[in-house]
Parts: sequence; C-alpha cells; structure tokens
Amino acid sequence: MQGMEKLIDELKHKIVSSLNLIDIQPEDIGNDDQLVGGDLGIDSIDILEMVIVIERDYGVAIDNKEIGQQVFKSLATLAEHIYQHSPRLST
Amino acid sequence: MIGNRVYISGMGIISPLGIGVLETKDAILKNKVGIRPISLFSVAKNKPLPVGEVPVVFEADPIPRTHALARIAAAQAMEGCLEPPDAVVLGITTGGMLTTEDLLRQKETTPAAFQYHSLTSVTEDIARRYHCTGPVVTVSTACSSSAVAITIALEMIRTGMAGRVLAGGADSLCRLTYYGFHSLQLIDPDGAHPLDKNRRGMSVAEGAAMLLLTADRPHHAVAEILGAGLSCDAYHPTAPEPEGKGALSAMQAALDDAGILYSDIDYINLHGTGTRDNDLAEARAINALFLNKMPIVSSIKGASGHPLAAAGAIEAVVSAIALSDQRVPGNVGCREPDPELNLNPVLQPTKTSLTTVLSNSFGFGGNNASLVMGTPRSSGQSAAAAGRAKPMKVLGSACITGAGDTHKTMEMIYAGKPCSGIISLEEISKNLAAAGVRRLKRLPRLVLSLATSAHENSQRADTPSSVFLGTGWGALSETYDFLSRLYETDEQFPSPIDFVGSVHNSPAGQIAMKFQATGPNITTTGGDYSFEQSMMTASLLSGKTDAPFLLIGADESHHKLSCLLDRSVSAGEILSDGGGALYLSPEDKTGGLYINLNHYQMATDIPGVIPSLIQSLGGAERIRERYGVLLAGIPGAFRKQSAAQLSEFLTSTNFQKPVIDYRKLTGEFASASAVAAVLAINFLKQGTIPGWLLKGENLPLHGKGALIIGLGSFITAMEVIWQ
Repeated sequence: MQGMEKLIDELKHKIVSSLNLIDIQPEDIGNDDQLVGGDLGIDSIDILEMVIVIERDYGVAIDNKEIGQQVFKSLATLAEHIYQHSPRLST
Repeated sequence: MIGNRVYISGMGIISPLGIGVLETKDAILKNKVGIRPISLFSVAKNKPLPVGEVPVVFEADPIPRTHALARIAAAQAMEGCLEPPDAVVLGITTGGMLTTEDLLRQKETTPAAFQYHSLTSVTEDIARRYHCTGPVVTVSTACSSSAVAITIALEMIRTGMAGRVLAGGADSLCRLTYYGFHSLQLIDPDGAHPLDKNRRGMSVAEGAAMLLLTADRPHHAVAEILGAGLSCDAYHPTAPEPEGKGALSAMQAALDDAGILYSDIDYINLHGTGTRDNDLAEARAINALFLNKMPIVSSIKGASGHPLAAAGAIEAVVSAIALSDQRVPGNVGCREPDPELNLNPVLQPTKTSLTTVLSNSFGFGGNNASLVMGTPRSSGQSAAAAGRAKPMKVLGSACITGAGDTHKTMEMIYAGKPCSGIISLEEISKNLAAAGVRRLKRLPRLVLSLATSAHENSQRADTPSSVFLGTGWGALSETYDFLSRLYETDEQFPSPIDFVGSVHNSPAGQIAMKFQATGPNITTTGGDYSFEQSMMTASLLSGKTDAPFLLIGADESHHKLSCLLDRSVSAGEILSDGGGALYLSPEDKTGGLYINLNHYQMATDIPGVIPSLIQSLGGAERIRERYGVLLAGIPGAFRKQSAAQLSEFLTSTNFQKPVIDYRKLTGEFASASAVAAVLAINFLKQGTIPGWLLKGENLPLHGKGALIIGLGSFITAMEVIWQ
C-alpha cells in the first residue's frame, strides 16, 4: 500500500492549497476525519472545487451528488475511490 | 402615503419559446420544449449540454448578443408608445460577456473592443434608443435580477418619481454561465425537469423580456403589478436555505405589499429551476405559506430553461399572458411529480379563472424576489404604501483608498496628499477573520471590510437589515481567473469557486451572511455612477421599513482588465481602487448628519442638463447658501466634457466656495464617488475642509453642507448636510 500512502499525502497537500485553507497544515488532516462540515471548515463549494482537481489530476470524475457524498466522507474514502478508479494509478 | 397604481402597458419577449407574445403564447399552448444541445458556441472536447438557446443569429450586429436580445424585447414593449420612458431599469448578469470571452481568448488589447462589456451598456443602449434621459438602473442580483428591476420600477411609479418605466432583463448564453453552472453540478444532462421526482438540475438559457409600466391606465390594460417582495436568505453563496425561509419571506412580503392574503393567489409561477435543492426549498416555503389553500402551480423552466437575469421578466410576461388568456402554462418536463414537494403542478396548459398570480425568482446569494400581478382592478390608488425617497441619516461610514483605511485616508487628504494607489489584500482583510474569507478575492474582501468598518464606526448595537451595493465592474479577479483556467485547460476544468465569486452580487451576499441581513440585498451597476445608482435604489426601497441598512460603493483594480474595460484607466498608469460604505437609517426624527441623492440623469447629447441639475438642487441661491464645498467627480475618460459641465455649473450658480476634483486624490476607479461621500461626511464631522486647497489654514464650514456632483456621461448630485 505504499502507493496509497503517497496518494493520501498528495491529497492532503492538494486540499490545503486548492482550498486555501488557513491555519491548517497538510499533516493536520487525519485519514478518517470528517471532510465536510467538520473542523476543517470545508463545505459543498470546496468539494466541487476538489471534484475538478481530482478529475484533472487523476482522471476520476465524481459527477453526481450521491456518489460524491460517499466518496468525500473522509480522506481515506476519497483516496480509496481514486485508487480504484484512476487510470493513472492502476497497474 | 398611498402610491400610484402600476399598469402593464406594453410587453416584449424573446426566449427559447419564441419571439414576441404571440409565439410565446403558441409555444405555451403546445407545451413546446425550447431546450436542446448548445450550438451557439463550440464546447471543445466536451459533450454539448442541453440549453435554452434563442434560435436567432445576429451576425450583422456589432453589438453583443445580450444587447441584441434586449433591443428586440424593448422594441416590442415600446411599440405604439410615442413618448420616451422616464426611466429604464433592467436586470442583467452576463452583458457583453460572450463577446468579451472571445476577445480575451484572442488576447485583444484595444479598449475600444470592450466598449459593450459592461452590464450597464445594455441598459444605456436601450435608454438611448428610446430617448430616455431619466434614471437608468442596472440590477445584478443573479437569477432574481429582472424581478428586482421590476420591483424598483414599481416603486419609481408608486412614489411619483416616474410615470412610465421600461423594466425587464436580458442575458445571453456565454461560457462563464454555461461552464460555471456545470462545474457546480447543477445541470441536468437530459434537460431540466422541474418538480420531477428524478430531476437532476437546470438548463442554462438566454432571453430578454421587457414591460412598459405606467401610472396611467392604458386602453387595453393587460395586467397590473400589485406588489413585490424582496428578501435575502443570508445563508450560503449558492444553495438556498433548505427550509425555504427566505423564499417564504419574499412571498409574504409581496402579499403584504399588494395588500392581499395568501388565499387571494390563484396561480404561482414557480422559480422551479429543476435543481433538487431549489425545488425542495421553494416547495417547503409554498407549503408553509399556503397551508390548505394551495393555488395552481407550474414552472416553465422545463420548456424555456433558466434564462438567469431575464427569468423574472420573462415569467412576468408569461404570468401576464396567463392573466389575459385565463390559462396557466403546463409544467413542461415533469413526468412524475416528486411526492416530497407536495405541490401537484399542472402538467398541461389549463384553462382556469385567474385574477391574481404570484411569480417567484430566486438567485445566488439567496437573493429572492416575488411579484404579485393581477387583472386590472378598478382605478384608484394602490393599496400599498409607497416608499419614501428622502434624506437618509448617516449612522456610520468608512472608506478604503490607496492610503489605507478611513483614518489614514483623512490624514493624507488634510496633509494635501493624494490617497490614490492600491493597498495589499492583507491590509484590506485586517478586520476580517482569515478563515472566513479564504475563498474571497479582492472585491468581496474590500466590500466586507468596508461594511464591517462602517458598522463599527456607528458604535450601534443594531445590525443592517438590507444591503445596497454599487459596483462599476464587479469581481474582476474571479471573472478573469475563471476564464483563464477554462482556456488553459481546454475548457475541461473550470473553477466552481471562481464562478461563484464572479457574479456581481456575490460580495453583497457575503455581507448578508455576516450580518444575517435578511432584507433586500441589491447590487446595481452603472459605471462611474454605480454608487449613486445604488443610493437611488436604497432611497426607494429602504424607506419601506425603518430598519438601518448598508450602502456601499466599491471596485477592485485588476492588472489585466481595468485598463481594457474602464476607459478612465490608461494602460501603464498606476492603478487605484477602494470604495466607501455608509451605515444609514431611513428614520428622520433625531437630527444629525444626512445624505441625499438629489439628481441622476443621462447627459451625453442631451441639452439643458446643467440647468436641470441646478433646478433639482433648488436654484443658484439655495446652492450658494447650503453648501460650503463642492466635490466634483470627473472621470478621466470624460475630462473635457466634464470640465465644460463644471464650468457651466459654477458660472450659472456663481458658486465661490472651494471645488475639489476628487479623482485627482483618489485615483481613477468607478466607485470613487463612494469615497467622496465618506470624505464629505468627515469634512462635516470635523467642521472644516483641508486648508491646502486655499494654501492656508483649514477652512471652517460653519455648519454648511457638502455637494458631490458626478459629471461626464451622466450628471448626478448627492448632498451631505446637517439637519
């Protein structure tokens, strides 16, 4: 699962930089922390921005709300979804 | 005060449903769908999404598509009317954007190419074509824009400010809205199915509609505008408040304004966009308001798509057609009504008896507007009390300039130094919580910071209920960044955050959320006269309650766009920006410092504008007695024209007091007059004007007021006085 750890680390950096999170360092985000509506201050518009970032960087489209709600539960669920669906990560 | 009644004397419409009232009627009768895959512009490698496109090509026209659509609707509404309207009030959100998108992609650098970019250029074009010299107002409150425009026109007529107003809205499709709404996942890939159980979103559309509203009852009166209600959710930048509290409050306000009960409504033309959240919030509001006496309801957006700023006016025309034909349109696109909505929409056009209808328009920023329309009543005065256009008491004020905040700006001014230039984003944001503004770029931060400072300056425990913002150019950073990323990624990865921030009313929506200001939230735009336009809107609408409100004028400078769009800003010049905010009260009992808009008129090619200004101010003698200083707004692009106007004013009035050419101090930006208003307030508070003007001691004002006039393509006048 070395690839998975690398992916999670990448995602932490992307979340902080794409969403311009203030006073939050990538390492502050726990793998199982609630992403939306939790302490990170991330809301639905941020998630839509992340959807675009993920499609651009990993080729994974998350284009409906129901799937999105499952996928964006936590960093772990997000990474798992990308890992399974990304043409760039699968071997 | 009981106001005039307001009749619809003429109507014009162009939408995906057809051109003109007859084609629109026919389309409604046949349940026609005007939504199909986009063909207006290519969409790179993407699959074309369904949109409501007007099936007309305007190849020969040098003007942008929004302007062309507006001209067609205006020509229909004005047909047979030989006299000019006293005012033109339009709701616009995209303006010349479709053309600007091409120009930016081609890296066009000639400012003249962008002359029709601004939203106000649509309204001014229509005003010129029909020889209107009176107020010209452009409302930009996203999808409620033209319903708000009709609300302003209604008040203009009720108060007697105007007898005849051309009101409506126009928007053409463009990449910004097409990709923007898609990036928010609000587009149904199969076309909009409002109120359907399986609805997945809206279809972006375009169109224009205009109403000629008059105080005089026409021979063949179609309908009356009986009332209007505005509110703001103050909840979220894009999503509606889930329980529909804002929608409910706008509908209730409209019923109250019309002096009727919910049980008097026979039909509701729903906002009904087809997004899951909008339709649910609207349905909850309607269920809460209408209880066991549910009127007939339907949304036309499954047929027309959502023509954004034009939606309110298009649906006002559709509602007027329903009243005259005694037939409600079908809720096209709904196959199986969503039981959760509990609305039971009519799916086919249906003959029924109608005397009073409600039309809803809700937009981004939680901007809600509801209109009540009815078959013409017996003549007489309107049941509703007219708003009061009168001086507003200044409770607090603040400005931001290149020098910094109000304190730093006044220091520079009294030292005889300019306050032009720009300050850093960090300095603008010093009174804002960093986490709360992390997504906001320059304009919304300027506006939030100004609002916060003006409110603090008042030292009052109450908070604003309403917000009125004037901005010449809106959020340039977000607009530029959205389009840049769209082009850089071959139209694949637009930023939803930038789209949300790019709409003109996004900064005012931020203020509403901060202060929980759930009253009217109105953004207007009118180039160098945007702040004055906003003040006119505020004086018409704020007087309906006694609650204090915020009035703000602000613009951001942008390294690429400012010199292309604003003709007063030359390439290579040092940029300036900022603005002013006033915390005001419509109550007039206690005395103190007051601000008032005395005059607002188009000037280019119109004779007699300076005598008309002097008359509005009560004549030369009154002007000499009343004011101790004149602040003159002379936009760089109109320096020659303005100099002649100023000279005529000074000669005609024999005004001998100091004259401050304030843009020499503030630098060139559209809402510099908002800074001038704050300077004037501070001069009066200190009781002096800066001595350097006369190369001597600070000059006492002896209790006299300050007159702020705007010159150039419009002539405006505001006064700050002790009362």
